[in-house]
Amino acid sequence: MVYLLQHALEQSADKYPDKDAFRCMSQRLTYGELERQTNNLARALQNEGLQKGDRVGILLNRCIDTPVALYGVLKAGGVAVPIDPFAPVERIRFVIADCGIGLLISNNQQRRALQKLDLASTQVRAVMGPDVSLSVPNVSWSLVASNGGSPTANTMLEHDLAYIMYTSGTTGTPKGIMHTHHSGLAYARLSGNLYGVNANDVVANHSPLHFDISTFGYFTAPLFGATTIICSDAETKIPNSLAQLIDKEGITIWYSVPLALTQMLQGGMIHELSWSSLRWILYGGEPFPVSQLKILLAKTRNARWSNVYGPAEVNQCTYYHFDASTDLASTIPLGHIWGNTDMLIVDENDNSLGINEQGELLIRSSTMMSGYWNQPARNDKAFLSKENAPFEQRYYRTGDLVTLDSDGLLHFEGRKDRQVKIRGYRIELDEVQSILDLHEALDEVAVFVHREGQDKSLAAAVVTALPHEEVKRTIRLFVASKLPSYCIPEKVIILTNIPRTAAGKVDHRALVKLTEE
Amino acid sequence: MREELIAYLETEILHGEEEVLAEDDLLGSGLVDSMGMMKFIAHIEEEYEITIPPQDLVIENFMTIAAIEEYVKGRSS
Repeated sequence: MVYLLQHALEQSADKYPDKDAFRCMSQRLTYGELERQTNNLARALQNEGLQKGDRVGILLNRCIDTPVALYGVLKAGGVAVPIDPFAPVERIRFVIADCGIGLLISNNQQRRALQKLDLASTQVRAVMGPDVSLSVPNVSWSLVASNGGSPTANTMLEHDLAYIMYTSGTTGTPKGIMHTHHSGLAYARLSGNLYGVNANDVVANHSPLHFDISTFGYFTAPLFGATTIICSDAETKIPNSLAQLIDKEGITIWYSVPLALTQMLQGGMIHELSWSSLRWILYGGEPFPVSQLKILLAKTRNARWSNVYGPAEVNQCTYYHFDASTDLASTIPLGHIWGNTDMLIVDENDNSLGINEQGELLIRSSTMMSGYWNQPARNDKAFLSKENAPFEQRYYRTGDLVTLDSDGLLHFEGRKDRQVKIRGYRIELDEVQSILDLHEALDEVAVFVHREGQDKSLAAAVVTALPHEEVKRTIRLFVASKLPSYCIPEKVIILTNIPRTAAGKVDHRALVKLTEE
Repeated sequence: MREELIAYLETEILHGEEEVLAEDDLLGSGLVDSMGMMKFIAHIEEEYEITIPPQDLVIENFMTIAAIEEYVKGRSS
């Protein structure tokens, strides 16, 4: 019976031992080999003292070690915490401390990042994977393989935690979204059924492991015995190589943020490629510019497209399918609520709204997180509890403003707060703001979004006595030391005072106008 | 050419915060992101007066400074 995420892998390893489960560049792992390697890692983690429920960090780039690390942790009874190896040292150290990571999985390629972390001063007591010397003991992959065996049985159940994904918070520190085996598997089942995923599918995974889009390639595909192609970091940076990968690997299901698809289009090579293997193209994270979408639709006449919507807190909750024959409006709807999910659209007092009335979308779903790690106050605010005797139902407040039209389609109308999506990255303007507020040489700061045509970028207006030529660099270095690189304001304007409304609030409209001049 | 490429990358894209060696993996290491790579390619086209056709814009030609140098020299000769 499949009630834990690793059962999906075990089942597919039983059915398709010689079939490729994952490929990345020239490397491959069959289901049988993945089963053996994850057993070895799980045993090695237990030998290092892992107890059920212990958090294990996965500090890896896009590579073939990621599925081994993820399922190895789950089989050992641990909770996987994927960490961006390219994030600032301070942020990685925050995550390690926040959820108490004692064991870390990495590899030799991350040597630089591991050394910068100064692990001896953290709670990490051992690193699995690298064979370079660090300030804490390490167990190399070859040692993991030779000391392995099967993990000892554990008593995990479906509502035990499986993984924590960190995302930006508004206060300057990230928050950990907790998912259980139940919510992870519910997502894998629902998404697999929605897109008819089967053992003949070849799924492209573009997202790094620490973003929720990766759950399709890492959880859904193995549940149905499909093969996942992990797009390497190199391929994600050279759009033409990425475009070629579709033909080379015979990708049948593509899933990424819109930017990856528009970059392939702009790379100028797709007319030379067939892309005939594609049967589904899924995108999520932000709206797709329709003008570019139409060119891509003409290229992919045999494929269906799906707009995937859902904050990482609920995995996915809506879908909108279309293809080359669909008469598209100027924006693509969020579409329909999917299975085992209810929604409410409410006003500021949590009263339900009617057709075409704009309000916040609230979601109750089997794919929903259990809460944020170690954040009781935040969890109280994140959910609305509704009594539905004899049960209490929890709805997650998405913060997204939507309308429901008379055809039953949901439409995205904006954000309730100052969270934005830029190039698919989820950015809290208030988080960037709170970091810059800490800088002593910046007297006043206002962070906002600068638009140029269809392109959006992060901008900051500052009041400062610093020499003008130093301001941009100062801001960049300061933000880069605390937040991921996509949070660095690309545009900086220096003002003598920040425009404010009569009520004294920052006048964002005036700021946007200033940058347009 | 190698020195010019490294100097441009270090100052204009990495903002003088990282040192780059000719054999460093620019793409897999996280040193350069996709927007940075696009900027670098635009610079190479301008500086060395070549147009890089789409079929040449692939990993093999841009993985390292050494690979870029070899590619650009091959194009100029």
